[in-house]
Formats: sequence, structure tokens, C-alpha cells
Amino acid sequence: MSDQRREEDLTAYALGELDAEARAAVEAMLAGSADARREVEDVRATAARLKEAFASVPHQALTPEQRGAVEAEAARGARRPRRAWAVAAALVAGVAASLVVFVGGFFHFERAARPTVSAGYHHNAPPSSVPAPTATLIPGLDKDAAARMSLQTKEQLKALGYIGGKPDGFEEEAATPRLNYLQDSSAPFNTETYDHIRENAFVLVAQDPRSTFSIDVDTASYSNVRRFLRDGQLPPKDAVRIEELVNYFPYAYEPPTGAVPFAVHMETAACPWRPAHRLVRIGIKGREVPRGERPPSNLVFLIDVSGSMNEPNKLPLVKAALRLLVEQLQPEDRVAIAVYAGASGLALPSTPASDKGAILSAIESLAPGGSTHGSAGIRLAYETAAANFIEGGVNRVILATDGDFNVGVTSPGELVRLIEDKRKSGVFLTALGFGMGNLKDATLEKLADHGNGTYAYIDSLSEARKVFVEQVGGTLVTIAKDVKLQVEFNPAKVKAFRLVGYENRVLAHQDFNDDTKDAGDIGAGHTVTALYEIVPPGVAVDVPGVDPLKYQSAAGRAPASADGELLTLKLRYKQPDSDHSARLDVPVEDSGRSFQDASPDFRFAAAVAAFGMALRDSPYKGDASLRTIQAWAQSGLGDDEGGHRAELLSLIAQARRLSPNR
Amino acid sequence: MASTTKARREWIGSAIDQYQGRLIRFASRITGDVESARDVVQDTFLRLCREDLDRVRDHLPAWLFRVCRNRALDVRKKERPLQALDDDDGTSAVEEPGADPHARLEKGDDARRLLAAVGTLPAAQQEALRLRFQEELSYKEISAVTGHSIGSVGFLIHAGIKQLRERLVHDEPAVRPEGERTDV
Repeated sequence: MSDQRREEDLTAYALGELDAEARAAVEAMLAGSADARREVEDVRATAARLKEAFASVPHQALTPEQRGAVEAEAARGARRPRRAWAVAAALVAGVAASLVVFVGGFFHFERAARPTVSAGYHHNAPPSSVPAPTATLIPGLDKDAAARMSLQTKEQLKALGYIGGKPDGFEEEAATPRLNYLQDSSAPFNTETYDHIRENAFVLVAQDPRSTFSIDVDTASYSNVRRFLRDGQLPPKDAVRIEELVNYFPYAYEPPTGAVPFAVHMETAACPWRPAHRLVRIGIKGREVPRGERPPSNLVFLIDVSGSMNEPNKLPLVKAALRLLVEQLQPEDRVAIAVYAGASGLALPSTPASDKGAILSAIESLAPGGSTHGSAGIRLAYETAAANFIEGGVNRVILATDGDFNVGVTSPGELVRLIEDKRKSGVFLTALGFGMGNLKDATLEKLADHGNGTYAYIDSLSEARKVFVEQVGGTLVTIAKDVKLQVEFNPAKVKAFRLVGYENRVLAHQDFNDDTKDAGDIGAGHTVTALYEIVPPGVAVDVPGVDPLKYQSAAGRAPASADGELLTLKLRYKQPDSDHSARLDVPVEDSGRSFQDASPDFRFAAAVAAFGMALRDSPYKGDASLRTIQAWAQSGLGDDEGGHRAELLSLIAQARRLSPNR
Repeated sequence: MASTTKARREWIGSAIDQYQGRLIRFASRITGDVESARDVVQDTFLRLCREDLDRVRDHLPAWLFRVCRNRALDVRKKERPLQALDDDDGTSAVEEPGADPHARLEKGDDARRLLAAVGTLPAAQQEALRLRFQEELSYKEISAVTGHSIGSVGFLIHAGIKQLRERLVHDEPAVRPEGERTDV
């Protein structure tokens, strides 16, 4: 096999154009060649960039007259011989002939491997082989996603009976087509790292009536999951953090009116994936800070310019994202830019935002090179932020990296200690993950969690726009820090409970009142949503992980005054510049509502959580299938400002294509 | 499905909804202006109306793009008879005619640079890249549309991506020596 041939195959592989056999052969080769793996990543990065650039060219439509003429013709039906198609069919036959030679190559394409596939192209194919309309033409289906699905994929699915005649026969099929090479995190060359998540189990209230955790406003997992699905792969299970999926979406919770910096809204209804259970949603909405009333900001961008950032969806996207943010700044804000690679340094000393030109040109001149020494850069950034500290303002380091710290002090533990130390200076951290292939997701999340900060994953300009334009207040202004939640369940009303998601945010009960223990922060206007699945008394706890107790009874001991209450939410938080927490208690009673009667926000949040469980193939997903989840999400669309919810629907549809029997 | 007139009309209507924008964009690359591209796309759908839909629907995108491409090439041949057609497979470095100035300003430098770089590639590569990454057709569909073998499509796309990558790396601001960047 010539080098040229091999390179073309790698490109075809990267673009998902090879059949299973050819794919397996490429994968075997990739396992032994770092160069080839890089090549594949490069092709994908360029492809993503091309798609984005091409997508910026606007669409035109037919004029109403032209369309009317076509529709009138359509009503008349087929009249003429199919000359045009006969030409095309003859041509395709010629292509098929040339394939004989092609099969002799090292890899072959789906079309060559499956003669049944090309039958679809033949003019004389028996009508019975032509199934009912393909998914692309069912009105109401996500057309873009359907169009993205390659013909090859469709035909594989069709060959296996997944689409075509019986779209609802998904669950009956036992065979799963292997459509992707990256189905799990153990795939040979995925160097992305994710910490293992062990899902929260059900806890018997008789055993422990309390649940304590820290809030989390990170959203990175959602954009990361979206990136996988759009690339035609199911995400590795541990890349799916359910609370980050749920919290990606804005919910219409009322903002606070009093002195407390946030409002709490709780709602209960039947649990859609286990109708005998109840689902409690805790919704928290941070105070909005209108543009113009934002306190002055002292921002230090810390940009990774190491060699690994030299990819289209990394440094160039970082620059584009920063330009968006700079546009949002007010004249009295200050910006500095620190870079790190083999050495670290200041590319721009702290500069007022009124000098926008200087900031933009410093961003423009960032160029990749060298390897990463993150800790020195982080030190420098914090020092710069401290030197320009604005009392009562926003003081924040914004780290943009793929997190591939591969030189120097790089054990996550050491970095975390460094960040924790810097946190005390009153400077907050935003970690922005870029790129793919060697994204060190776990490292970045830990940095943000320990550095009074947030973590977002930026995979496109539109995601940058969401973080820096739509939600700029929340990204920059922290309104409360170290927000901890403790839920106490009433044993008369709750037999067992399970916190959905937040696995790496669970706290020890005694940490709730300990003001030295760090927890998550809320930005202006942020919403935080948490879900508890509750087993009511009288319902058998037939869920994994629960052993019946021998000596305890589930009898209630609640005081008479609190009889009707399901639970009490206790919440601790600190003002951004305070070391002492305040506490808030909010009890809730069960509304007794069915899932259908719940608010759209409730239904949508439940659907997102169920989608996360389905992607994780969680033992707790109950009756949830991708099909039912799609319906739940659809029913919770609401106004969908920004179109984010509709995007989830298309991702669910894509996941259904990739895993027809989930 | 196409048994009743109503069903047939609805089916065609949904095909128009789904493909008109993509087809006009594609055709206008060949004809050089949006108006004649609209005519070409109207003709394409008129032709679709005369087909036995059961035979087409399974590979509709490939069918539409192929008919549209041939029709657009015919139109161009008529309007620009002097242009050599031998080595011309349907695309040239025509400015993106569908783009309006505002959309242009909005899209980032990155997109603009990339589109400019695409414009410098050989016509056949440009067309293959557009069909794959703008219209999101598979290699096999591109082969049916253009008449190139699947292997040739694989070559064109690979070569196109490779050149773009080289050009983009080349176009990035030069990497400055380590010392210059550290002015602390």
C-alpha cells in the first residue's frame, strides 16, 4: 500500500466513510502509530472548521411563483420517461464497475463491501427493496441531523432493519451495528481523560435521612457530549456528568426579590422513568446583574500557547472567543494576557478595556509553540490579578487550554493545591476547555472546583457566544460562593432517595456547617438545578444497591407541625467577599402532581437527566428509553429562548441513530 | 406513499423545504449568480415531479444534486460559451454569490480566511469539499453526483484538506521566538 493510498484511507476513516472491516484495519494501524493518530485528529479538526466556515454562507429559497409552479406539477404526477435518472443510473453502474479495481486496494468502502447497498442505485431494483420514506423526509424530524447522517450509515441501519419499514422496531433487534470506533473510553487512541463516576445509589431514609452536596454550575460535560454525538460517536460514559447536562440549560426560575442573592424554587411530580417514584426538583436562581451595573472587572487571560494548542479548534477558537468577550467589556474593566508554553510570560500587561485596540492586537498576535508548563503560568496569572486587584470588583483568571499540562509541576494534586492556595487571594477562576483528542477534562474540572471557579468546554463559536455574550454576567460576576445544600427527608413521607448526578460534588454531612470547606459558586443570573428521585413509603425499593434493614423501622418521627412536609432544603452560602456563611431553610410538600401536570421546566430537566442516564447506560434509568426521553423533552420545550432545548432534541435523535437499542 | 396526489404534493413540498437552500447555494457556485441558480433548482424540482418517486426517494440527495449540477452546467455553457469546458467540472473560483455583505462581516476572520483558501484550490477539489462539508453528502453520494469514482472522491477530499491544512498553518502569524514573548 502506497503512502498516498494510506493517507487517503486515514482521511476517509477520520470522516467516517469506511465500513466496519476497513475501520478495524485502520484502528489496528492507529494503535501503533502516534503520527497516524495525530493525522486523524488533524483531519477532523480541519473538517470541523470547514463545516463551520461553509455554514456561514446563507441559504436562499425559491420564489413563491417558482415553488407554486413545482407544486402544481407535483399534483400532475409522473408523466415522462425517467430520462435524467437513467443517465445517472448508467453512470453509477460505471462507478460500480470501477470498484472492482478499488476493492483490490487495502481498504474498501461500504459500497463495495455490501452489494445490497448499491442495489438502491439501480434503475430496475424491485419495488419491494425500496422501503417507505427515509428518515430525512419525515416532516418534523430534525432535518439537519437527518441530513448529516451519511448514506452509508442509513444503509447499514436499513440493512439491519433499524430504519425504513419499521422505525418502531428498535427494541426488538438484538444485533447492534458497530458504527463507531470510539464507543467507550478504552478505545485504543482516545487520550482524553475522564475520572470514573460511580453513580449515587438509593439511600434508605431510616439509614441516613440527609443528603449533602455542593452546587455546581459547570456545563462543560454537555458541550463535550454534544461534540461526541455530532462526530457520530457515543460519548465515553465517564464524560457524561448528569448535573452538567441539566445545568447547561437556562430555566425560567423567578429571580430573588429580597436581600438573599438567590431564590429557591422546588417542584415535585411523578418520576417519569419510574412512575411509582416521585421526583423533586430543586431550582436555584441567582440575582441578575444587568449590564452596566456590573462591578468593574480585573481579568487576566491565561492562554495555553503550547504546541498541542496548534489546531484549528483550539488557539484560533480561543482567540475568537476572547474577542467576543472583549466586546462585552466596559471601559473601566481591565484585561491582561499571560501565556504559557515552554516559558510563561505576559503578552499584555493589565490594560483598561477602553484601549480595546491594544487588547485585540495582543490577542491576534498569540501564536502556538513549545510545551506546556501550566503551573508557572497559573502563578504568574494570579500574581498579575493580585497586582491589579479591584476592591469590590470582579477579579478573575480565565484559563484557556486543552489542559495538557505535560511539563513541570503537573500532577493534578499539586496543581489543585496551588489553585487552592491562590483562591484565598480573592481571585476567582474560570477554566475553559478547548479542543479534543487530549482534552484533560478531569484536571480542568478539578482546577475550577478548587479555585472558586467554573469550567466550560468551548467547542464552537456559538458555544463561546453562549458563555461570553448570553451569559456574560454569570461568567464574570459571582454573587454567592461556597453554596452548599443539605436536604433532610421526612421519614414519614420518604422511604429512600437518590440524588441524580453531582457525584463528584457530594459532601460529608459535617462539612455543611464548616465554613472552611470549599463548595461551588453561583454567578449572576445562573440557574442551578438538582433532582432527587424519591421512593415513597409503601413502595418496594426494588432498586440496585439497597439492602433491607433488619432492625430499623421506617416509621416516621417527624413533629406534628411538619407532618405534610416531604423534605427541608437547607442552604448555606457566603457573600463573594465574606468568610462567614448564612443559612436558609426551605421546606416543601409533595404536590401529588403527575408528570404531565408538571411545569415545562420540570419536564425538560427530567428529560435531560434521563438522557444522561441513558448515555451512561445507568442501572437507575428505569423505563427510560431514548424514544420516551425524546417525547419528555419535546413536552418540556417551552419558549426555548436561544434554541438550546431544540438542540438537545437533535442530539437525542442522533443518539438514537447511534444506539438503536437503548 | 405517492399513491395519492396530496401525498405526492406534500412529499415534494418537504423535499423542497429540505433541499432548496442547499441546491441553490450549490448551483450558484456553478452559474455564478443566484437568479439563474434559482431557475436551475426550479427545473430540478420540476423534473423530480415527473419521476416515479418510489425509485428516487431512497437516494434523493444524490439524485437532486446530480440533476441540479447537470442543469447548472448546461446553463453556464449557454451563458458563457467562450469558457473552456474540457477540464471544467462545474466549479470555478466564483465569489460566493449567495453571501450578503452583512453575513460576511459577521462571520469571523477564521471563516473568511478559510473560505478564501478554499477558493484557491483546484475546481474539482473545491467541489468535492463543498459537497462533503457544506452539503454533507457521503463519498458515495458525491461519486453519484459528480461521476468521479469513489476512490477519486477520496483523493480529491484528502488532497483538498491537506492543502488547506498546510495553507492555514502557513497563514497563522509566525511563531515568535520564545524570548520575545516573555517581556516580564
